[in-house]
Amino acid sequence: MCDQTFLAATFGPCDNCSKASPLMNIYLKNEPINYCSFCVEMMACQGLQKGETLTSLKKESETLKKKLEEERGKLTDVELHQVAEKVEAVAALSIKTRRVLKGHGNKVLCMDWCKDKRRLVSSSQDGKVIVWDGFTLNKEHGVTLPCTWVMACAYAPSGCAVACGGLDNKCSVVPLSLDRTENLAAKKKSVAMHTNYVSGCSFTNSDMQLLTSSGDGTCALWDVESGQLLQSFHGHTADVLSLDLAPSETGNTFVSGGCDMKANVWDMRSGQNIQSFESHESDINCVKYYPSGDAFASASDDATCRFYDLRADREVAVYQKDSIIFGASSVDFSLSGRLLFAGYNDYTINVWDVLKGNRVSVLFGHENRISRLRVSPDGTALCSASWDNTLRIWA
Amino acid sequence: MSSKLHSSNNINQRIPSSCELPRMSSKLHSSNNINHARRMVQQLRMEASRERIKVSKASADLMNYCHEHARTDPLLVGIPTSDNPFKDKKPCIIL
Repeated sequence: MCDQTFLAATFGPCDNCSKASPLMNIYLKNEPINYCSFCVEMMACQGLQKGETLTSLKKESETLKKKLEEERGKLTDVELHQVAEKVEAVAALSIKTRRVLKGHGNKVLCMDWCKDKRRLVSSSQDGKVIVWDGFTLNKEHGVTLPCTWVMACAYAPSGCAVACGGLDNKCSVVPLSLDRTENLAAKKKSVAMHTNYVSGCSFTNSDMQLLTSSGDGTCALWDVESGQLLQSFHGHTADVLSLDLAPSETGNTFVSGGCDMKANVWDMRSGQNIQSFESHESDINCVKYYPSGDAFASASDDATCRFYDLRADREVAVYQKDSIIFGASSVDFSLSGRLLFAGYNDYTINVWDVLKGNRVSVLFGHENRISRLRVSPDGTALCSASWDNTLRIWA
Repeated sequence: MSSKLHSSNNINQRIPSSCELPRMSSKLHSSNNINHARRMVQQLRMEASRERIKVSKASADLMNYCHEHARTDPLLVGIPTSDNPFKDKKPCIIL
């Protein structure tokens, strides 16, 4: 369990003792209550007196977990790939490398597409963040951050700014200027503050809010303008490595995956963990929503990618092969959700048929492990970032 | 609980072990233990009471979505070279 070390989200009169102090926002019987930390401790001790011991709580935990498994099992009347047997197989794909983006001096750790479907931002181990025009290979902007290992970067929905963060434990927003001579690093603004490295970041539907995941085991939602923490998400028991926002039509949730092998779905407004999935056998490196928002996929160091349906509340497919023994680092869906592109540490990208569960194609080209891959917003191309210092655009 | 950044023997090492970083704290006080256990139970109670649908229904919906959008999926069905800005058209002649 991680310790929250950044400021509490609210300050005000405690619901119990009425003293004004930093409040802990917790839930009792699904009702939100705001107690100061002293009252929370008192309540914990009172709970003990009522006969609720650690052992009894643990036992109840185990019973509930078993019940959950039973409930989920009851609804597994058929497997996804069985239902998909009547679907036509995917025709042979003709996806090739169309662009190679060279310019980073070290491992490229992350990339993101701009909504205009041609620009993209990438960040690397040497602290450089570059904005590229994917059509022309032009480097439009470059920022050098004072820290190394910029593990996360994201393009703002407006296309006017990028967010980046990593070992500096921060996530900063850099406004992109049309003036090429302007020093972008000077306008960089620190928004998120974590107590360990920032592993992932994403703007919400606007440039005004930023969601981050961190090695400190938490995710957090920040107001970009003021840098204020709007909501924090606790539940992971180890580093959180990835997050993805639900597609806008389906509302305010996001999914995160981490080193505790769990994938958690969160409600952005309340901070509550709505659903949790634990079937991977090693760290989850990447999570990505299915285009309809009803499911998500995950990539893990256990060399498998898995597919979870949110309404059935369980894993519905595992994408694995005996010949694939290296961890998967990143996944993304094609526009219709039929194809799942997954980048692996053995330098390849495997393309899976999401419904039938078989591998459709393998994309070779990179000379080191894939760190991140993303399909463009209109689905015409796939971009992959790699430790071989390059990015490739496939179409 | 080992931090991802300290698995120096693991070939899937994320960053070099020479990077010194604080490990995530895992020590709990006894009252935190109770709180933690109570929160776990509340979380599980909430999860157990959720509405779920059958996998057959969920699968059918996923298949429908794929089917509806398959025609407009460029990477799945391929689009003409002229429509794809990343695919090179006729080679340019540089005079």
